Amino acid sequence: MSEPDETQPAFAHPSEKAFARILDYYGIEWQYEPDTFVLRQDSQGHTLEAFSPDFYLPQQDLYIELTTLRPKLIRHKNRKIRRMKELHPEINIKLFKRRNIRDMMIKYGIDEEARKIMDREAQ
Amino acid sequence: MPAITLSRKLGSLGTEIARSLADSLGYRMMWREVINEAASRACAPEVALAVIDDLGLLGLRPSSKAQRAFLESVQQIVEQLAAEGNVVVVGRAGQIILRGYPGVLHVRITAPLALRVERIAARHSISAAAAKARVESSDQSRSTYVRRHYHVDWDDPKSYDLVINTEIIPVPVARDLITLTWEQRMQTPMTSSSLS
Repeated sequence: MSEPDETQPAFAHPSEKAFARILDYYGIEWQYEPDTFVLRQDSQGHTLEAFSPDFYLPQQDLYIELTTLRPKLIRHKNRKIRRMKELHPEINIKLFKRRNIRDMMIKYGIDEEARKIMDREAQ
Repeated sequence: MPAITLSRKLGSLGTEIARSLADSLGYRMMWREVINEAASRACAPEVALAVIDDLGLLGLRPSSKAQRAFLESVQQIVEQLAAEGNVVVVGRAGQIILRGYPGVLHVRITAPLALRVERIAARHSISAAAAKARVESSDQSRSTYVRRHYHVDWDDPKSYDLVINTEIIPVPVARDLITLTWEQRMQTPMTSSSLS
């Protein structure tokens, strides 16, 4: 399982960090943006569009992409995922629309627990 | 097919007992492996996350089709594990899937709610309120899984051969109690009530 220490990746968004904490809580092994998939190339083979799903869960063989609730962003990511499934049908990928995860983490003390671990390791 | 199924409540020390029992008997302990393998066979990896997520943090709602495929795979895997033998199967309603199978012992580990909350709060250094929310959510999730998919009351002691309350029984004693019961069971002539 990935440990919340200085070796943690630099997450692009706080929601990704929160998601990683949940995976840690459940003991689910994860990797952050381990792979990039080419979605579009020009005639010379140069990459025009690529996609790096946020997480890969090796035990479930599942890629996870997180998104906020902004419709434009959801449409954009849905399009990328559709394209990726066309090109790589063998890949399992799931789009997570995050709703109130932060509130739920506070309710169950997961945020507090993760912060204590981080504080302890920083000493 | 010597196998032990172990059902436990969050904070009951059931996982610790299962681990100690498996070590002492030299058996495999199968827990998450059943979930991940079943989801993989059902071609529905997100169902594994939905099942593991007993606090509902991820908000996953797998389709009925995916859930049915997952449950069929769980049943096959648990039966296969029992057929291979020398295994402690934790959770996944093993006590129902293998009910009536010869050479299988069904164990339940429990403890009073207040004590389980206290243990979870201490183990994770979280508030009593957060620990209580976790325990109640976990109980609800596991109970619902068994009732919805197998139409059985998770708490019904008739589903188990041995029920242990860890309020006053520590892990090593619980392990030894199960071992004694298990040895007794193995000496009893097996009946083939459900297997041909």
